[in-house]
Parts: sequence; C-alpha cells; structure tokens
Amino acid sequence: MTALRSYRLLVHWQILRLKGFVPLAIVVQALFALGIVAGYPLLFPALDRQTMLFLATGAPAITLITMGLVAVPQVVSQARTQGSLEYMRTLPVPRMVFLLADLSVWLVIVLPGLVFALWVGAARFDLAFEVSLLVVPAFLLVALTSTAVGYAMACVLPPMIAVLLTQVMVVFVMLFSPLNFPSERLPGWLQSIHEVLPIEAMGEVIRGTLAGGSFPISASPFLMLAAWCAGGLGIAYLTLRRRA
Amino acid sequence: MLLEIERITKTYRSPLRRGPGTRANADVSLSVDAGQVYGLLGHNGAGKTTLVNQVVGLIRPDAGTIRVAGRDAVADPSFARQACSLQPQAQLPIDGLTPRQAIELVGRLRGGRAADVRMRRDRLVAALDLGQWLDTDGARLSGGVKRLVSFAMAAVSPGLVVVLDEPTNDVDPVRRRLLWAEVRQLAGEGAAVLLVTHNVLEAERSVDRLAILTEGRLIAEGTPAELKTGLAADLHLELVLEPGFPPPSPAAFVARYRPNGSRAVATIPAAAAGPAVAWAEQLRRSGVIEEFSLTPATLEDVYVQLVGGPAAHSIREVRDDRAA
Repeated sequence: MTALRSYRLLVHWQILRLKGFVPLAIVVQALFALGIVAGYPLLFPALDRQTMLFLATGAPAITLITMGLVAVPQVVSQARTQGSLEYMRTLPVPRMVFLLADLSVWLVIVLPGLVFALWVGAARFDLAFEVSLLVVPAFLLVALTSTAVGYAMACVLPPMIAVLLTQVMVVFVMLFSPLNFPSERLPGWLQSIHEVLPIEAMGEVIRGTLAGGSFPISASPFLMLAAWCAGGLGIAYLTLRRRA
Repeated sequence: MLLEIERITKTYRSPLRRGPGTRANADVSLSVDAGQVYGLLGHNGAGKTTLVNQVVGLIRPDAGTIRVAGRDAVADPSFARQACSLQPQAQLPIDGLTPRQAIELVGRLRGGRAADVRMRRDRLVAALDLGQWLDTDGARLSGGVKRLVSFAMAAVSPGLVVVLDEPTNDVDPVRRRLLWAEVRQLAGEGAAVLLVTHNVLEAERSVDRLAILTEGRLIAEGTPAELKTGLAADLHLELVLEPGFPPPSPAAFVARYRPNGSRAVATIPAAAAGPAVAWAEQLRRSGVIEEFSLTPATLEDVYVQLVGGPAAHSIREVRDDRAA
C-alpha cells in the first residue's frame, strides 16, 4: 500500500475522530484572541501604535501556540490513556505517515481560530497589516513547530504530567512570553530562557511577516524554529516507533 | 506453521526502580497453524497480553524468536503489523466514527480494496447482528457492541495471523455464539487465530488447541481433550446448600472439594458415581442440601487444577479447617 493512500485514510480517520473537538477548539481560540485584543488594552491607560501592533500580532501567535502546546498534548495524552494511540500503532502504516497525517489534521483545526484572531486584532485596532510574502511559510512553521513539540511532549511524558504541563504552558505563553510585549520587559533570567525556547522566535516570525515595517525580520528565528520543529518531529517519530 | 513463537522471554523493568523487574513471559513456546484457533488461558497478569503484543510488534521480547509465515517478526515489526491483525484487550474508543466508518477505514488501512472491504464489512455486520448500530456514533455504543465492532475491525482485512485479546468480554450470550462462529470462519478461511480468553467453557468448545499461562510460564499445552486426559474419569458433584447450612464434610471418596458460598463442588472418581449419588441423596433427605447435580469434568477443572488460586482448596485444607 502506498504511503499516500495510508496518509489519506489516516487523515480521514482523524478528521472523524476529532470533528467533535473542532467547534470547541474554535471557541477556545476565539476567546484567547478576544482576551488579548479586548482584555489586555484595559491594563493600559493609552495605547500607542507599537502596543497595538504587539497585541494584534500576539493574538494569532497565542492562538496557534496554545493549540500546539496545550490542546495537542492534551488530546494525544488522552489517546494514549484510552489505548487508541497504541491501537493505531498496530496498523500497517509507516510511523512517519501516521505522524504527518495527525499533524496535518491539527494544522487544519487551528485554521479557523487563527483567521478569527487575525481579523479581530486588525478590526479592534483599525490596523492594516503589512503582509510579507513569507507569511504563509512563517505561520505554517509556527503551527507545525508548536504541534510537533506538543506531540512530542505527549509521547514522551506520562499522560498526567503532560496534561499538568499544558496548564503551566497556558500561563507561561499568555503572561511570561514576549508575544504581546517586547522581550526587554522580561527579567534577564527569563530573557535567557526565551533565547533557548521557541516561543519568542514564533512571535518574531509572526510579527515580522504581518508588520514588517515595525518589526524587521531576520533568518535566525526561522532557523531556530526549523531546529525545534525537526527535534519535535524526531522525538515523536522515535517514540511512536519504540517497542516497549 | 504460520505463527511460531519460540522461547519468548520478556521482563518489564522500570527506569525509575532498581531490581529484577516483572517477568511477564518466561521461555514461552507455541505455534499456530493456518486454519487453527489457538486459545491462551491464564489468570489476570499471567502474561497473555504481553505475549500477543509481542506478536504484533508492539513489544520487543528480551529473548526468543517469533516467526510469521517463516519470517522473523521481531526483526521486522512492520512486516509483523502487515501480517497480523489485532483486536486489542482494551476497549477501543472510536468516538466520532460510526461502526460503518471504523470497520471500513481499518480494513482499507490494512490494505484491503475498497469494494472488497465494504462487502466483507457488510457480511460481518450481518453475521454479528450489528446492523441496527451501523450508523451510530462510537461514543454512544454499549461495551458489548464496541467489542464486536472491534472484532470486525480485526476481521475485515485479516492478516495471516489474527490475534484476538478477550473478544467475548461484555458480549451478550446470543452474539457471543455468533462471534465464535466468526472466529471459526476466520480460521476456515486460512488464518491462524491466536485468542486470549478467560471464558474456559466457551474456549473448550471453540478452540483447536490451547495453552495455559501462569506467572509468565506456559504450564500446559494441547487440545482440550488432551488436557482433560488426566481428569477424564473424574466427575463433578455440585451440592446446592440449604440456606443457613454450612457445607457438609466431604465423603471419603471425594478427591477435591471446593465449598463456595451457597454451593460446594466435589470432584470424585467416576467409579464412585454410585456412592456419590447415594451420599448426595442422603444429604438432601436430611435437609443439608436443596439439590445436587453430577456432571463430567470440564476444561475449567483442568484449568483450576493447574493454575490453582483461591478457589482451588485441596481436600486436606478443608478437612484441616474442620479439625481446627
């Protein structure tokens, strides 16, 4: 059987499995986006253009990252606990095809919430994004990296710990990551942590491709994300292959 | 032989704990031929699921070989997955999918052609009497129906080897018969069926050969008739006690005695059938028991005798209890 045929059938299987989850995912993403563009401004007496741009680009960044690092590990951990992940592993399908099919479905699931986050940010602050040609690969890389890392988390960690970690992740991404504000505002030690983690780079490529005029972009966050993406995929692939 | 398991040993070790680990399989060998239904019996934790999960390539044995159609399944787990279809022990969550979709998608993922898979799915659904749930979401199916769907998923594009881990759990008695017929049908089509079960009495009627595992070791292997050979001459006398009465002391000719709540089962040699009936009749007349029945020994007796456990008191223990 060709890998492509397996891929198509697995995507079909996962879409059916997760279709009940999609409305919930859209609502949660929309709430995140609304919280950022409508809630955060309440903290400031006045908004300058820079702050508005941070919030308008932070909203899509956070909806993507929280789906990958929170929703994906939760759903995959649940599949592990229920035994459905192990069952899928008994089917004669190459592990990489299984992983890619699962990640593709997640990329589609995050899309409506992402579009809403982009629209609500631009509408609330009356902004026109300066969209770069790199926007599609940039968003794809962010979505794929966060889902791949989330997937790897769920594959490696015991399900209870993985789910607990996702709770920590929500607070960390929303409040202690330089997505809605410049990283200089973070304490030095947290800045150093973010130099290693992929979250800051995710924010940079999203800001840089949506508002390049205010946030010039370089190749280094792309390279960093590519490394994290490869690492996440590699770890997930190896754990799916592993025999107890 | 389609499936040859030779001297398989598997020990689970926790990375967090030192020590020898848990030995799940120790030097287990068995083989299943095309057309054969092979039963694996054993207590919970006897190592049955560990053994079958090694066949399908989910677990890697520490030592020993597994060959499927002559090919090394341990060295080539992707071949093992192609050649073996599995109904897992755990209840398979198929929320979001209907049985129609789940059976068809798995059949095609296992390499079946769409038209063949649909035809086979419809035949299985009819044979297992699942038609009324064909388009019900998996989340709303009862445990027994899910179990049957899970069986159909393993049988729709079967491998050379079909591994069924406790397929009859939660299934109603009528559909359980239909299920056993389908298990035989799989073998009839040429598959080697390896079947884990706790239901010894059903297994006795439906398997060609069986093995009994305890604490990871294979302690008996053969056809149901071969395994019963030692006990063939034994009979079972079941006494139903009058409420409130303690079980009577066993008569001298009783070989094994198992009081159990409101019942007591005495195993007796066939030669003692006459005295046994007289003894039981006398107990009934004196009001100690309500009724009794005399039946030949079953595979379950072999099983209990071999595996032991809390239900299998020896007559000496019972008599000692009484003396004390």
